[in-house]
Amino acid sequence: MEDIKAYIESGILELYVLGDVTSSEKLHVEEMASQHPAIKAELDEIERSMELFAAANAVEPPAQLRDRVLNSLLTNFGDDNNFPTKHPQPVKENVIAMPAPKANGFYKYAFAACFALLIASVVALFSVYNKLQNANTQLIALNSTNQKFSSTVNFMDHQLSVYRDTSFKVIKLKGTAHLPNGLMLVAFSPAKKKVIIDMADLKMPANDKEHQYQLWAIVGKTPVSLGVFDKDAADNSLMKEMKSVPVAQAFAVTLEPRGGSINPTMDQMMVIGNL
Amino acid sequence: MLALRRHEKIAVEALYDMYSSSLYGVISRIIVDTAVAEDVLQETFVKIWHSFASYSTEKGRLFTWMVNIARNLAIDKLRSKDFKNQNKNQELEINVTFIDEQRNTVYKPELLGIKDLVQTLKADQKEILELVYFKGYTHVEAADELGIPLGTIKTRLRMAIQQLRKHFN
Repeated sequence: MEDIKAYIESGILELYVLGDVTSSEKLHVEEMASQHPAIKAELDEIERSMELFAAANAVEPPAQLRDRVLNSLLTNFGDDNNFPTKHPQPVKENVIAMPAPKANGFYKYAFAACFALLIASVVALFSVYNKLQNANTQLIALNSTNQKFSSTVNFMDHQLSVYRDTSFKVIKLKGTAHLPNGLMLVAFSPAKKKVIIDMADLKMPANDKEHQYQLWAIVGKTPVSLGVFDKDAADNSLMKEMKSVPVAQAFAVTLEPRGGSINPTMDQMMVIGNL
Repeated sequence: MLALRRHEKIAVEALYDMYSSSLYGVISRIIVDTAVAEDVLQETFVKIWHSFASYSTEKGRLFTWMVNIARNLAIDKLRSKDFKNQNKNQELEINVTFIDEQRNTVYKPELLGIKDLVQTLKADQKEILELVYFKGYTHVEAADELGIPLGTIKTRLRMAIQQLRKHFN
């Protein structure tokens, strides 16, 4: 008991109540208090005194502070209540289904549009190709026509030049007993050794397919072939140039088998004319 | 008590209504600036709230535990660097305040009894109680401050509290 009394009187209990003890001293005091009711009672008395002392010194805090303090505690209620209770928070459904992509429809339509465009393009290409072919054909036709015209013009120029050329002599070949109404004009230029016959005013019957007319030049007493020609209604050429000959006393035309003969068949002479 | 442990709203309201004035009395004796003292009171209740699990009735009275939290927070605040700087120019005023220990009783009619209480204490008892209880000195620091042996400090502190016990009984 003496020890306990000394312990009480040492002042350690007061320091304990005031919190002015080391942690080992604190543990010791708590142990002593739990073992000795007298110490426990003494501690209790000291605490009660200090509490009353504080109450005697109490100062009422401002009224608005009550709300402030309580609110600052109450805002923590949620956290504090959740902390010890270990109810697992229901896992929020964080995965939200993405809205179905509408791009699919777009690509479908885009593909359809492309396909339609492709078909339209092919059709247009064909049409353009056909037109081009037509145009080419027409162009070729035009070209050939053009060439024909130009050649015709050239030929006509040539023919006109025959009339202008003063070196040509025009010889009238008159019909024989076979062809009393026959008439043929032959232009002959000894200087240029050219012989041209007038087809437009040729008054002779049309020959058949097995026969052709053959023009002869009589040089001295010898007939010289100047080539064959046809009397054809379809042929509208105005003049025809025959083989050249430098001199001739007369011109004659006989009807010969097609391709001509080496010597004239004299009984088939159609027209003849002397220079 | 159970309600407190379960962190119920009504419990903390009751706790505040019962003890806030006593705690604020201690805090405002330590910290003169009312705004800071109010902050400390708020911090005190927050700390009580959060560390309530560490309190057990076997270790002593609830108020002792709470007032020690309040005192520690207030003294920490008083000693914290920014607060010191803030109060450098007020040091004289604080001393004056401490000299005039009845300052609060002058303004608070409900504390008129304190005059009698303080008069029951001897000057040296008042002094030691002031240093240890309100200024946060350890008894070792108080011994240095007053230039008296450690044992004497303990005895004086005990005598002062004995005096209080007598007064309240």
